[in-house]
Amino acid sequence: MGNLITITIFMGLGAFFVFFNMTVGALVRPKLPNADKALAYECGELPIGQSWVQFDLRFYIVALVFLVFDVEIAMFYPWATIFQEYKLPALVTMLTFFAVLMVGYVYLWRFGYLEWVRSSVTTSLAAREATSVSSEKLSVLARRDPEQVAKTVNL
Amino acid sequence: MDGVLILKIVIAVGIMQMLLGLISYLILLERKTAAWIQDRVGPNRVGPQGLLQPIADGVKFILKEEFIPKQADKVLFLLAPIAILTPALCGFAVIPWGGILQKGATIPVIGWSLPVDFPFMVANPDVGVLFVLAMAGLATYGVVLGGWASGSKYSFLGGLRATAQMLSYEVPLALSLMTVLLVAGTLSLTKMVESQAGYFDIAGLHFLPKWNIFVHPVAFVIFTVCIFAEANRTPFDLAECESELVGGYHTEYSSMKFALFFLAEYSAMITGAAVMISLFLGGWHLPWIDYLIYGKAQPVDGGWIDVLIKFCVFWGKVVAFLFFYMWVRWTLPRFRFDQLMSLAWRGLIPVALAALLFTSFVVYLHKQIDLQYPNLWIFVGNLAIFGVLLAILSRPRAVQNRRIAVPNSRYNPQLAQRAVPVEPA
Repeated sequence: MGNLITITIFMGLGAFFVFFNMTVGALVRPKLPNADKALAYECGELPIGQSWVQFDLRFYIVALVFLVFDVEIAMFYPWATIFQEYKLPALVTMLTFFAVLMVGYVYLWRFGYLEWVRSSVTTSLAAREATSVSSEKLSVLARRDPEQVAKTVNL
Repeated sequence: MDGVLILKIVIAVGIMQMLLGLISYLILLERKTAAWIQDRVGPNRVGPQGLLQPIADGVKFILKEEFIPKQADKVLFLLAPIAILTPALCGFAVIPWGGILQKGATIPVIGWSLPVDFPFMVANPDVGVLFVLAMAGLATYGVVLGGWASGSKYSFLGGLRATAQMLSYEVPLALSLMTVLLVAGTLSLTKMVESQAGYFDIAGLHFLPKWNIFVHPVAFVIFTVCIFAEANRTPFDLAECESELVGGYHTEYSSMKFALFFLAEYSAMITGAAVMISLFLGGWHLPWIDYLIYGKAQPVDGGWIDVLIKFCVFWGKVVAFLFFYMWVRWTLPRFRFDQLMSLAWRGLIPVALAALLFTSFVVYLHKQIDLQYPNLWIFVGNLAIFGVLLAILSRPRAVQNRRIAVPNSRYNPQLAQRAVPVEPA
């Protein structure tokens, strides 16, 4: 109970600091608005369109993968705390969970979801079978026979 | 009202003031360190040696005019600095920087003696590690809100990058902490520091401090990398890299609101350093010199003098680590974004999982069949992980240029002699 009270007080002090500074600033600072100041900063150019543009889908994949791993961490923390008491059952439970997780992780790795720059060579099975080699070996091959490799890769 | 509670409140107010003071002087330290490393003088106009610079900065932040872009979402724009700074400051509440004031110690001025052992910190919950992690996780909201609400493209892109980065590095951060938890068997930061106050018994000699860094070096390295990334410090400052995104998610913030973002970054640095020191570097434990003072390893509880010593040692370590942050900032260049994501997902996470798995096996064998020297085995396993990593990283690569060779490609020079040259007009 004491912990809760002191943490709340500490948090309250932090929030008070924030509000106090913002209020004092709002009271004393000058306010001379004009149309140019209200523009979004784009190095002096006039901004075109909205800023809420469609962003890369890869950020979405990162969020999804993070969610899986964060759930895993939420499950692992209590397990790690009581591990020494429960011994074998704890170990077996964790290893099972770990194995399931690893299947997903290997899948992500194999199909290139963990790479930021993805190409069809790593993500598509068809492309990989057509070339049947890794992208690194591919560039070795490309040195020997560039035309053939270029034809295969540009599926 | 309970006397212990009053003492706790006094500590809470004191440590909050100290934290804010330290942050403002950290900015001066940062500038002075930068100047020192780049062979310049640094700020030296305000006060002796520029020591009053933080006050001048503060006054300026309050007095400057503030702009809010027309396109901004006003409510969220206002909420973002609050949402980032309050949890960043709050995370410090559970850091054990003072050890334990023993039962019966008298409080000066009031003259009232304590009926119980008193952990000298703001709050001592059993789930300290989780609390710190939760508060660090909340920092992401401030960044997302700031980037999204500004209505500027730079802010938006900076906010996205920062979110992806903070999410990615939270996973290895938590995994590396788990390795330590597994051996400690507790989530309380106080108990973890207590377990590190002493020395390993190496062939009858007690000279190596019982710090977790000597047991879990892999976790230590991963944790260090992750707190740099979580605080958006170089080499992971892609969220605000000035050469690409101006200021990233705080491009549109001015005057006091900008200062609050800045304070949040520094307070995240301090909390990160403090957690690191409590978990890996012995917390308030003063190595070797404690033999001179106490004649034995430093005891967990003591009187006011002991609390003062522990306080000084802890903050000394924190400031030393903060200097390390700054040193790294002026030493290492920034990552590329794909390298950053690749380091987290394909580098740190598998290594952290390997360390976790190995540690859990050693702890299991220690408990089940009474394996001797578990710490030594974990250390050996960690060294093996480092060795395997080194072998993987240093293997010769067949081709340095990993771009797929295509005729007429500008990027793969291996085909240059076979490509059709383009004649200048």
